[in-house]
Amino acid sequence: MQPFKYSAASFFKYLSLVLGALAALIPIIVVFFASLKTNAEYASTGPLTMPENWLNFSNYTKAFVDGKMLLGFMNTIIIVLISIAGATLTGSMMAYILARFKFRGSKLLMGAFLLATLIPGVTTQVATFQIINSLDLFNTRWAPILMYLGTDIIAVYIFMQFLDSISESLDESAMLDGASYWTIYWRIILPLLSPAIVTVIIVKGVNIYNDFYTPFLYMPKSSLQVVSTALFKFKGPYGSQWEVICAAIMIAIIPTLVAFVSLQKYIYNGFAQGSVK
Amino acid sequence: MERLSNLSYKNQRLLIILLFSLVPVALLLTFSYLPVFKMFQYSFTSWDGFSKKMEYVGFDNYKTIFTRPEYFTVFKVSLYYFFATFVQMGLALYFATILSFNVRLKNWFKGILFFPTLLNGVAIGFIFLFFFKPEGTLNTLLDLVGLGAWQQKWLLNPHLINISLAFASVWRYMGMNFIIFLGAISSIGSDIYEASEIDGANRWHQFRHIIIPSIKRILQLNLILAVSGAIGVFEIPYVMTGGSNGSGTFVIQTVDVAFKYSKLGLASAMAVVLLGIVILVTILQRVLIKEEK
Amino acid sequence: MKKTKAVTSLAALTLMAGLFAGCSSNNNTDNTAATNGGNTGTGTEATAAPEGDAAKDIKGNITVITQRTDIVDTVFKDYAAKFNEKYPDVKVNFEALSSYEDQIKIRMGTSDYGDVLLLPTSVAIKDLPEFFEPLGKMSDLEQQYTGLEERTVDGISYGIPVTVNFSGVIYNKQVFKDAGITEVPRTFEQFQTALQSIKDKTDAVPLYTNYAAGWTLTQWEADLATVAGDREYVNIAQVASDDNFVPGQPHYDLYKVMYDAAKNGLIEEDPTTTDWESSKADLANGKIGTMMLGSWAIGQIKGLATNPDDVGFMPFPTNADKILVPLSDDYNLGVSIHSQNKEAARAWVDWFINESGYPTTEGGGMSPVKGAELPEILKQFEGTDVTFDTLAPAKAGEEGWVDAIDKEAEIGLWQPDFKKVIIEAAIGNRKDSYDDIMKDLNDKWKAARAKITAAQ
Repeated sequence: MQPFKYSAASFFKYLSLVLGALAALIPIIVVFFASLKTNAEYASTGPLTMPENWLNFSNYTKAFVDGKMLLGFMNTIIIVLISIAGATLTGSMMAYILARFKFRGSKLLMGAFLLATLIPGVTTQVATFQIINSLDLFNTRWAPILMYLGTDIIAVYIFMQFLDSISESLDESAMLDGASYWTIYWRIILPLLSPAIVTVIIVKGVNIYNDFYTPFLYMPKSSLQVVSTALFKFKGPYGSQWEVICAAIMIAIIPTLVAFVSLQKYIYNGFAQGSVK
Repeated sequence: MERLSNLSYKNQRLLIILLFSLVPVALLLTFSYLPVFKMFQYSFTSWDGFSKKMEYVGFDNYKTIFTRPEYFTVFKVSLYYFFATFVQMGLALYFATILSFNVRLKNWFKGILFFPTLLNGVAIGFIFLFFFKPEGTLNTLLDLVGLGAWQQKWLLNPHLINISLAFASVWRYMGMNFIIFLGAISSIGSDIYEASEIDGANRWHQFRHIIIPSIKRILQLNLILAVSGAIGVFEIPYVMTGGSNGSGTFVIQTVDVAFKYSKLGLASAMAVVLLGIVILVTILQRVLIKEEK
Repeated sequence: MKKTKAVTSLAALTLMAGLFAGCSSNNNTDNTAATNGGNTGTGTEATAAPEGDAAKDIKGNITVITQRTDIVDTVFKDYAAKFNEKYPDVKVNFEALSSYEDQIKIRMGTSDYGDVLLLPTSVAIKDLPEFFEPLGKMSDLEQQYTGLEERTVDGISYGIPVTVNFSGVIYNKQVFKDAGITEVPRTFEQFQTALQSIKDKTDAVPLYTNYAAGWTLTQWEADLATVAGDREYVNIAQVASDDNFVPGQPHYDLYKVMYDAAKNGLIEEDPTTTDWESSKADLANGKIGTMMLGSWAIGQIKGLATNPDDVGFMPFPTNADKILVPLSDDYNLGVSIHSQNKEAARAWVDWFINESGYPTTEGGGMSPVKGAELPEILKQFEGTDVTFDTLAPAKAGEEGWVDAIDKEAEIGLWQPDFKKVIIEAAIGNRKDSYDDIMKDLNDKWKAARAKITAAQ
């Protein structure tokens, strides 16, 4: 820990951090304010005006009950858990063989994953829909799960990045003890990858949690709604009350926030340092 | 599974490569390449997307696209996002670097900067409509800090609309880049920094010679994705303006052709063209990066 | 269809090999997917539901797809309960789609699009028999319902309108009074003058376009018949003409109203950030003078007004000799050709239109059932020279041509796109003049019309 110096550089550093934080927060604070306002208040006050009653949770109860948010959370949790577990496994396996073995076609594989990421997803909807339908998965939770399971290049890259910092001598010494590659992956690589796994879980989890198009298209059945589709039900040409939508947005944010706060120390304190010694 | 170790390492290797890549590759083929393959097929037909009639029309759709320059004028909108991409990367890298060293309230700042990424796309669309309204958040703020004269109609002014939307896009995606960079930087061992400090390196040297090289791969990937993302911009302008007032992009156009005018064949051809452009730009980037080395 | 099977990735892999080989899936589920989609539905026709005791015999599960995301979990649930009093053995499930057209269209490519649904406007009229059950001969159903001609092919009807809308200008009477407008404007000129007085004498926005929402701009197209003053214009005269958008034609005059209002600063200050929800309240409470909408909105707007009598309806301005307010179908309700429970599905259709009360309450228009009462707001026009009438259907063999030409030309009569361009040009964000825009539309129309009429 260096002594804290009041210099121009550190002043600029903190100024930039504060500005960045403000820029990130203000648009959301506005939503938070709106979620605590009554309908009349929302219509008559400016966005930065604080709500009259900080304990006006009526919009929240309305959003939660009318939007059947609980059902949404249940479905979301199921989908997120299965998808993330699967994506982490497949992603780390893929990264393991790509990082540790040089074989013919590894470049090709890498390229194939990268190319897939470049395809603008919106444009292939119709074909994808036909495929899901022929697999008989339409209106089941498996449709989005399978689509999210598809290993994405981001996960592979994060794992590979991390594998680079795990010394190969670890693998080699295990091999001297007669461990199989399978054992090495399970006993050595996977545990050491934990910080990267957390990062991947966050990145993928957020994407899945916020994705509305996939569940919307593939699971229109009302008993299968997820959080983001529940959010959408408030919107539409026939009626929506923004202060309730704002409350719904806040409700949708809270679990992610909790998950993030409880996982963040794993991300921040990458404990890769210890592995080499 | 211990029986695996009875095999020679050479055979093991083969087995593990096959085993570990089986599922990912199967998924990749089913949900990425098969749809693209089908999209190629559709692009040679006049299919409307749902009826049973699918007439083969050869290269007609491609002819249509290349004889209508107005389809390509929208790419200038992508330039705004392209530029914004670099701003976004720069900010993400800057914050990730300073926050990987000692800063007060470090975790607070990290959490706050990452926070926007946690939001739902439509929520963001709404938040920013609110933000850019004439009496909205931004103008109210400008008034507060005494810059009332700078107030603008952010989405009405045709010169500002795309800048405003690109700003929303930076706001949304910066946190994700930031967290990925942070993860990568945190995997650098502290002993390396310690060694460099003994050699008298300052923060800039450390950034230049330790951080950048060790996160190069992630940086390149993010750049490639961000640039191809700029070409295929869709969600933010679609949700916020529906592509009106000069904010339309190629993907919005493609979606409109497919769904508003029921020309799935033509839209597929447009998507193929777009994919081609994205791949070209990506290859170009890789070549450029290679030359720099 | 059973859909509870967890498909492992390995199964997906073998399946994929199958797909590549070009044959349909064979993962030993009782899959009756798109492979046998060719049955024409004769013999299993969804005939009108039986009454009385016979109703008790109808059984099955049906899925009803609606666009009403706002009331699917409330009002529709009550409907289902009432429906079950009459048909106790039918279980009704709902699916609400928020961007109905886009989502349903993707599903139409498969066999899974519910049992009862709204006929998508994007499905060409002549293709309806591919997807929907015939509901009966139009000559029989006509005795009971109006508005069938819009979804009828070769004398067979495939849908019944959920409600019948009338379109025009919804305005705030108090704003008009404050602006000193004593007489409801009838001609284009009078209308612009009225807007100008609202601007000069009140604080209200004279004409609120609702540009940002987009779909709201499509409501203008419904007033085409009023501008033409002829019930035969839309489906007959329009397709017979190459000059759809030239000066003097109804389309030109119709959108000129929009352009002039925007050009003279008679619309909202910043169209790009308008908000549909608050606009309804603003019109109800005198912050907005006029909006171009369909009757479905009247109930919603009155519901937000401190004084509901301030909300008035008038026909769209026109220079025609007589004032015609067109009655047009809202969405039509139909039965999927792939439904496994066509009897139950048909029972729902009939019950929904005749007994649920939806057409006049939630639907906000007139009931398509013959002999139903005129809505309250229209009674003021009884005995005036304003007539309400449906549009004449297209000539035999020309069904759906307007739509076909429109799509081929990528004009988007019922899409917001060119209306947005008109507003952008009027407020100076684009260089094109009104005549440039109209000429461009007309060129597209002409080329597409040649193509479509030649193909028939």
